[in-house]
Amino acid sequence: MINKLAKPKNILKGSQGDKLLLLGNEAIARGVLEAGVGVATTYPGTPSSEIADTLSGMASEAGYYFEYSANEKVAVEVAGSAAVAKIRSFVSMKHVGLNVAADPFMTLAYVGVRAGMIILSADDPSMWSSQNEQDNRYYSLLSGMPMVEAANPQEAKDFILDAYDFSEKIEMPILFRTTTRLNHTRAPVTLGPRRPIETIGDFIKEPGRFVPVPSVARKRHLVVLENLKKAEELSYKTNFNKTFGEGSIGIITSGVGFNYTMEAIKLLDLDAEVLKLGMTNPLPKDLISDFLKRHKKIFIVEELEPYLELNVRSLAKDVAPTVEIFGKYTGHIPRYYELNTRKVLEGLSSAFHLEIPFNFKKVDELYSSISSELPPRPPVLCAGCPHRATFYEIKKATFNKGIYPSDIGCYTLAIQDPLHMADILFCMGSSVSTAAGLSKVTDKTVVAAIGDSTFFHTGIPALVSAVYNKHHFTLAILDNRTTAMTGHQPHPGIGITGMHEQGEKIDIESVVKGIGVKNVVKINPFKVRESINAIRAATRTEGVSVVISEAPCALVDVAEKRKKGEKITPYVVVPELCIGCKICIDQLGCPAIYWNESTVKAEVDITQCTGCSVCAQICPKDAFKLKED
Amino acid sequence: MEKYEISLVGVGGQGILTAAELLAKCAMLDGHNVRVGEIHGMAQRGGIVQSSVRIGKDVYGPIISEGMADLIIGFEPVEAMRGLSFASEKTIVLLNEHIVYPTVVSMGKAKYPDMDYIKSSIKKFTSKLYSFNAMDLALEAGAAITMNLVLLGAAFKIGNIGLNKESMESIITSTFPERFKKTNLKAFNLGYDYFK
Repeated sequence: MINKLAKPKNILKGSQGDKLLLLGNEAIARGVLEAGVGVATTYPGTPSSEIADTLSGMASEAGYYFEYSANEKVAVEVAGSAAVAKIRSFVSMKHVGLNVAADPFMTLAYVGVRAGMIILSADDPSMWSSQNEQDNRYYSLLSGMPMVEAANPQEAKDFILDAYDFSEKIEMPILFRTTTRLNHTRAPVTLGPRRPIETIGDFIKEPGRFVPVPSVARKRHLVVLENLKKAEELSYKTNFNKTFGEGSIGIITSGVGFNYTMEAIKLLDLDAEVLKLGMTNPLPKDLISDFLKRHKKIFIVEELEPYLELNVRSLAKDVAPTVEIFGKYTGHIPRYYELNTRKVLEGLSSAFHLEIPFNFKKVDELYSSISSELPPRPPVLCAGCPHRATFYEIKKATFNKGIYPSDIGCYTLAIQDPLHMADILFCMGSSVSTAAGLSKVTDKTVVAAIGDSTFFHTGIPALVSAVYNKHHFTLAILDNRTTAMTGHQPHPGIGITGMHEQGEKIDIESVVKGIGVKNVVKINPFKVRESINAIRAATRTEGVSVVISEAPCALVDVAEKRKKGEKITPYVVVPELCIGCKICIDQLGCPAIYWNESTVKAEVDITQCTGCSVCAQICPKDAFKLKED
Repeated sequence: MEKYEISLVGVGGQGILTAAELLAKCAMLDGHNVRVGEIHGMAQRGGIVQSSVRIGKDVYGPIISEGMADLIIGFEPVEAMRGLSFASEKTIVLLNEHIVYPTVVSMGKAKYPDMDYIKSSIKKFTSKLYSFNAMDLALEAGAAITMNLVLLGAAFKIGNIGLNKESMESIITSTFPERFKKTNLKAFNLGYDYFK
């Protein structure tokens, strides 16, 4: 059940001077190892997941503690308290995870830590795997917690070490902000030495600092502001902020924006001085002021919000009022999606009237002439995925007349044709609470769907609230025994811990019953008729009812069967029985079933079929049969 | 090497990320700087996979700009066509003719373009098109799963990548478990020997 992708042996065993090809996330995990961190926690989320999976894979052998926490808030609190007790700690999450953890995050900035702590937020410009592309650099501004950004895997590893030292000097955690193209870039990384790991701390009581009742909090806010001043002074003595090259044009950048900048100025053969900021809160005002005074024209390259630009503009007003600044406010760099070299090239070209040595327009025109005819290939639920079966059954049980709130996980893919079984989604856990709201203000049957890991993450408080407030809807908990979307991490319902040990297994049914849900039923989604009947009965009971649909993730199931040498027998269509009614194709959308134009019948791709049998159960002519040898 | 950019395009499960990693390890062994770009998570579930390998001292980030690829390895015909955003007249395109139908096509809701149309579309961008069925050679090597190595072998022959074939063979040998070594090397060499 533990992520099979994590093969951290070389990352753990590698010694100083070794040069490895590492994913940005693996390089970060190596940095955490080199920094001698004693406690690491996470809730998995793309693009951060491999950091934690790598850390989990090394934990027991390396000798530090690692856990998959139930959610990001818990993860920050566990790691935060460890750092208060003088043990270096690390938390990683995706950008929206920091929304969940925002409460302890804000207060941690006030009370601070006594050993180094890093809170890593992996932002996802272009939303490759996310519901928004919020720019978490504003969390640093909001909290007063200093922030570090790196451009490539090597620098990310090195900055992790520097950030721990920095954190200890000001007794505050550091927000380490990455974006997808750092997390998911592979590059050569030279390893450094490892600090000894300490895991037994010393909690020295100081309630006047660590219990922020109003009288304490009032004092601590002043400390935050004082620390920010101190942090800026300290930043001049670090390696975080650097300049490259020289020229009359000045370019200010941070994170992966630096990569595109360097490539663009090379292609343009442009003489420019680049100020690369690694510490982006507090900003090095003296350094930036000198830089502004050295150049008449400034160009700012950053992904997402005009965070640097806003600060640089406000500083320029005082120290270099005549300097001309180009960036997002002038329309030279877009405020949405991830950047690339081309976007920076075009921005620089338009700001400084430079000719780009490549005809992008010609390529674009040619491409648009062919690309509109291509069949789309959106991500879909896998062949044999139990979610497909459950959604088919919910749809049938409610005569497709219900409202179907969804949640965050693979099952959100039920939004696709032909299922269309995702109607509303805000964030992790919102299926339960949106079902409550919608059932209050409509007379429709409401059936929400939530995954097992998401249920533990934020579904439980929402369910407590719904039962307490006497709401009326059905919640389907899709228990596929893993955190599938992010790479098959364990969760409280599995009972395997981040240390790869057997932990306590939290039984979903007992939790639901303990909350006070009276109508709880368990189904096997691969038994179609029984499941439809059970779901229909659940929707017809008063109050909150819960259907637990229990079947393992098809990817895990097939992999485990293969490992055990168990045979997987696919289904095939008997052509004489198939009448070409297309019910299987139009109602399931299983990637293993396809339509043969010439025979006008359905067929099965036996290399994909897992033998789940759902198609066989819904075929009106019984045309699907298990393949004989 | 100043800069050599390879775009690998196809669908989930075709071994694209592995192929990209092998290329990058080979580049490192030959003493070059390298960046690999890949996308994980929701984008992967049966969907499109586009990975990039950028080699050379002028390389900082992982993303190939439109039209800038030196080589496109199309693991699947429609995805090779979709990957043409990276192509211009300088680009070499290696096309695997083995089709993986998108769900909309298998459901009969969209048409899959025919192979001649795909090839003529590629030729609008570049004359340097090499096409073959890598799956046939993978099966000849002994396993469908080695299709990515067949494509790597062919890419080494036609791509002018500037990496040593011996380096790649040693990377293949050291990356996979002993029992797959022979099949993988056979697949790589079947691909290498296909184009004269």
